[in-house]
Amino acid sequence: MTPCFLKIPDGLKRYPLVGIVCWLAALVGAHAAQDVRLRVWSHQGQEAENHAVREIAEAFNAAHRDRGWTVELSFFPDFQYTEKLAVAAAARDLPDVFDLDGPLVARFADVGLLKPLDEFLSDAERADFLPTILAQGTVDGRLYALGSFDSALVLYYDRELLARAGVTPPVEGQGWSWDEFVKACEKLKTAGIEPVALHMNESADEWFTYAFSPVVWSAGGRLIAQDIARVRGELTSEAAVRGVRAWQELFARGFAATDPVEPDPFGQGRVAMDWSGHWMARGHLATKGDRLGVMPLPSLGTPAAACGSWCWAISAETKQQEAAVAWLRWVTEAETGVVPLVRANGAVPARRAAFAHFPEYEQMPYALFRAQLETSARPRPRTPFYAMLTHRFAAALRDISRGADVESRLRKAEEAVQRVIDRKRPTKTAEASRP
Amino acid sequence: MSGRRRDHITRWAEALLGSASVVVALLFLAPLLWTLIGSFRVEEAIFRLDAASLIDPRMWTIENYGDAWRRASLGPALAVSIGQVALIVAGGLLVNSLAAYAFARLQFRGSDALFAAVVMLIILPVEVIAVPMFFTARDLGLTGGLGPALAGLTLPFMAKAFNIYFLRQHFLNLPRQIEEAAVLDGARVWAQYWRIALPSIKPALATVVVLDVLTHWGDFLWPLLIGTREETRTVQIGLANLFTQPPVQWGDILACAVIATLPVLVMFRWLQRYIVATQVHTGIK
Amino acid sequence: MTAWEKQASRRAIWFLLPALGMLAVFVAWPLIRAAWWSVTDADLLATDDAHWIGAENYSDLLRDPRFRHAFLNTALFAILIVPLQTLLAMVLALWVNRPEPAWRWLRTVFFLPVVVSLPVLAVVWTLLYQPEQAGETGLINRLTSVFGFADRAWLRDPSLALPALAAMSIWQGVGLQMMVFLAGLQGVSREQLEAAQLDGASAWQRLVHVVIPSLRNTIAFVVTVTTILAFRLFVQPYLMTRGGPDDRTLSLVQYMYETTFLNLELGRACAAALLFLTWVGFLTWLQRTLFNEEKS
Repeated sequence: MTPCFLKIPDGLKRYPLVGIVCWLAALVGAHAAQDVRLRVWSHQGQEAENHAVREIAEAFNAAHRDRGWTVELSFFPDFQYTEKLAVAAAARDLPDVFDLDGPLVARFADVGLLKPLDEFLSDAERADFLPTILAQGTVDGRLYALGSFDSALVLYYDRELLARAGVTPPVEGQGWSWDEFVKACEKLKTAGIEPVALHMNESADEWFTYAFSPVVWSAGGRLIAQDIARVRGELTSEAAVRGVRAWQELFARGFAATDPVEPDPFGQGRVAMDWSGHWMARGHLATKGDRLGVMPLPSLGTPAAACGSWCWAISAETKQQEAAVAWLRWVTEAETGVVPLVRANGAVPARRAAFAHFPEYEQMPYALFRAQLETSARPRPRTPFYAMLTHRFAAALRDISRGADVESRLRKAEEAVQRVIDRKRPTKTAEASRP
Repeated sequence: MSGRRRDHITRWAEALLGSASVVVALLFLAPLLWTLIGSFRVEEAIFRLDAASLIDPRMWTIENYGDAWRRASLGPALAVSIGQVALIVAGGLLVNSLAAYAFARLQFRGSDALFAAVVMLIILPVEVIAVPMFFTARDLGLTGGLGPALAGLTLPFMAKAFNIYFLRQHFLNLPRQIEEAAVLDGARVWAQYWRIALPSIKPALATVVVLDVLTHWGDFLWPLLIGTREETRTVQIGLANLFTQPPVQWGDILACAVIATLPVLVMFRWLQRYIVATQVHTGIK
Repeated sequence: MTAWEKQASRRAIWFLLPALGMLAVFVAWPLIRAAWWSVTDADLLATDDAHWIGAENYSDLLRDPRFRHAFLNTALFAILIVPLQTLLAMVLALWVNRPEPAWRWLRTVFFLPVVVSLPVLAVVWTLLYQPEQAGETGLINRLTSVFGFADRAWLRDPSLALPALAAMSIWQGVGLQMMVFLAGLQGVSREQLEAAQLDGASAWQRLVHVVIPSLRNTIAFVVTVTTILAFRLFVQPYLMTRGGPDDRTLSLVQYMYETTFLNLELGRACAAALLFLTWVGFLTWLQRTLFNEEKS
C-alpha cells in the first residue's frame, strides 16, 4: 500500500494548473533558501571584457570565501542596460553594486540613489586614480563612482598622406592650433585627399557631445554652468559660438563628410586624419604601422580633450555595504581589476599603478592618451540634466553640420533645455542654499 | 459527353489550384523553414543553401541547441514563460467568466452602466498604461525576485475587458430555460454558473484560451519592464538578449527561436480543433 | 422580482469583484495616474516630487519634431498595413474556405506565423533581410536577386526600412485576420449565393454583390483591430532597427518608451501616452461611424 503522503492529491491530478502553481511555488522557495549574495550588475560589453569581469568576480569570490561574500553577476545587453538601470531605480530594486556610464552619475546621485564613496577611500588610493576618473565620479564635491578605465579622444593621422599633400605634422605630443589644422585641411583637399573623418554617421547622441564638446571648451566656452544649472547664454556665449562656427566650417568647406557611410574611412586609407578615440588605436596600428601618427585635438585657445567611460557605483540602499565596498575596491585595484579589464577591452587604465603592466604606454599613441588624461581632459558636464542636454546639443550639431545657422540653432537648443531646468530648479536651488 | 469534359476541366482546375496552393504555402513558410534548417547548420553554413553544402554532413550540427540553451538560460526562462501563460489563462478564465456571467444573468441597478465602462476599456492599448502599471506593480511588491515577478507578470493581465465582453455574449446566447429549470430544483447561483452555464460555453472558453496564449506567449514590453533580474527573464527576453549580445551567433539565435516556438506549437496542435470550430466569430459586433 | 432574481443580484457583487477589482487596480488606477502625471513634471526616478505644470507637456509634444516624426512613421505604417493586410486576409480566407478536410492544412499554414510569436519573428526576419556581408546573404535578397534586383540593405535604407517592417508584419498577422474572415464567411447566406448562381452571376459578381456586402461587419472589425494593432507598433522597430535609420522607423510606443526610460521624463511620456489613447479612441469612433453610415 502506498503511504498516503506519497499519493498525489486528487486535485492535482484533475487540475494540472494547480500542479504548475505548486511547482512554481516550490521553485520560489528553493531560491529564497539560498545564501545572501552581493548583487552586481554590469553592461554586457564585448565578449573579452565580459569574460574578464566574470573572472574578476571568481577571483573575488575565492578571496572572500572566509567572509562568505559571493558576487552574483548579472549582465544586460548594452542597448537596454541604461533602461534596465532606470527601471530598477524606479522600482527601488537596484543591485548592490552596478556600473553605469559616466554622465549618468550626476543623474543618479541627484535623487539620492548612490552612496558617497569618500569615506571608504584613503588619500593614497585617491592619489593613484587618474584625475579624470575622480572628476567624472564627483558631483557637488562628493565622490559617487569610480571607474577601472577611461577613454581618450585624439586626432590620428596618416604620415604618408600628409606628406603627399605637403603637410608637416606637429612635434610629437604637441597639437595644432585650429588655424594650422584648417590650413592642413586646405592642402589635403587641394591634393585631392579627403582631410578628416568626424564619424557623423554615428547614431548615438553621445558621440557628438563626447567628441565635439572639446571644441567648445578649447574656445573658452562650456555647455552648462554646472553649479547653478544654467544653459541659457552658455551654449550661445561668444566663445561657444566661435568654436561651433569653426567646426561648421569643416563641413562647409568640404573638409569632412556630413553623411559618411563607411564606419572607418581612415583605416581604409581614403581619409588623411581621424577624429577618434583610443578604441581605434589597435586597429589603426595594425593597418598603418609606422605611417600612423597621433596628436591632440586642434585647439582654439586652451587645449582640451575628452574623457569618461563606464564606472562603478554602490546603491544607497545596499544592505551589504562592507562587501559592496570590497568589490568596488577589488575591481578598481590595479592588479585585481584594472589590469585584466584593460587587457580585455584596450581602454586606458584608471590607476597610475596599472600603467607599469602596459609597456605600450611608453610610446605613441598610448603615451598621448595618458598625457591627455593627466592634463587637458575634462569629463562631460556632471548635471542631472545631462540626458536632455546631450540630446539637444547633438541634435543641434547634426543640423549645424548640414548648414543651420550656428547661433540661432544653439539658442533653440539652450532654450529647450533651460525650460526644463527652470521648472525643476525650485528643488535644486533649495538644496544649493542649504549650508 | 460534355458532362465528362466538364469533369475533366474541373479536375484539372482542382489539380492546378492544389499545386498552386503548395507553392504558395512553401513560399509563405519559407522564413520558418529557413529558421528550422538554419538552427541545425554550423555557423558558416547558415546562409549557404547550395546543394553541395546541404548534403555535406560537416555543415550540420545540433550543438546550436545546447549553446542556445546554456547562453540564454532557456531552462529557467521556459519555466517562467510557461508559468506566466498558465497563470494568466487559468486566473483569467475564472475571473472573466464570473464577471461575464454576472453581466449576462445577474441584473442589478447600474449593471448596464458598469458593463459599458468595462467595454470602453477594450480599446485601451496596454502600452498607454504600461509605465504607471509598472509603478502599481512595484507598490504592491510585485517586482524583484522570482515569486513577486511572476505575480507581476500575470496578475495585471488576468482580468480582460474583451474577454468579459466576449464571454458575456456567449452566456446571453444560452437558452434561459435550462437555468430556470435548475432553479426550480433548488440549485444556487454558484452552481448555476459552475455546473450549467460554464460547461455550455466550452468552445468560447477555448477561444479565449487560444487568444490569451497567443498574446501572452509573445509578450515583450511588459516582461522587459518588470524583469529586473536574470532569473525572471522570459523566453522572448532571453532570445532578444541572445540576439543583441556579442558575439552574435546566428545558429544559437535560430535554435533559440525554434525552442521558443515549440511549446506554443504543441499547445496550438492541441487547441486547433477549437480554433477551427469556434473562431472569433461572436466577438464581431 | 422572483426569488431567483433576488438571490442573483445579491450574488452579483461576488461574481464581479475579482475581475472588476483587478481592472480597477491594474487598468483604471494606472490610467488615472498616467493622466495625473501627464500634467506634471514627474521624473521616473522621483515620482513623489512631481509639480503641476498644466498642459505644458502636451504643447511641448505637439511642437516636438521627433514626436511628430514618430506619429507620422506609425501612421504611415498603419496606412501600409491596414488595406493590404485586410485584402490579403480576405483573399486567403476565400481561398481556403472549402469544406473538404484536405484543405485544412492550408489554413494551418497561413495561421502558423501568428502562433510563432512576434519577437521570435522579428529576430528571424532581421536575418532574412540581411544584405550581403562577407559572403552571407539573407534569404530575401537571394529571392529578389533571382528576379534581377540589386542587393539591398532593407533595414538600413531610410526609404525601405519602414516598408520592410510592414511587409514582415503583414506576413505575421494575416493569418489571424484570415480566421476572422473565415468565421464571417460562415454567415454568408447559402440561399442568396445559389439564387445568384441561378441568375447566371459569375463568381466575381457573386463575390462583389453577395459575399462582400454580407462581410461588412467583419471587414469593419478587421479594419478597426488592425489599425489599433498597427499603431501599437513596438517590437519590430525595437528589435530590428532600433528606430533607425535616421529615425525613420521610430514608432509612437518606442518614443514613449525612450522618453520614459532614457530621458526619465515620466510626465512627458504619460502625456504622449494619453495623446496616443485619444488618437486610438478617435480612430475607433471614426471607423464605427463610417461603417454604420454605409449600412443605413
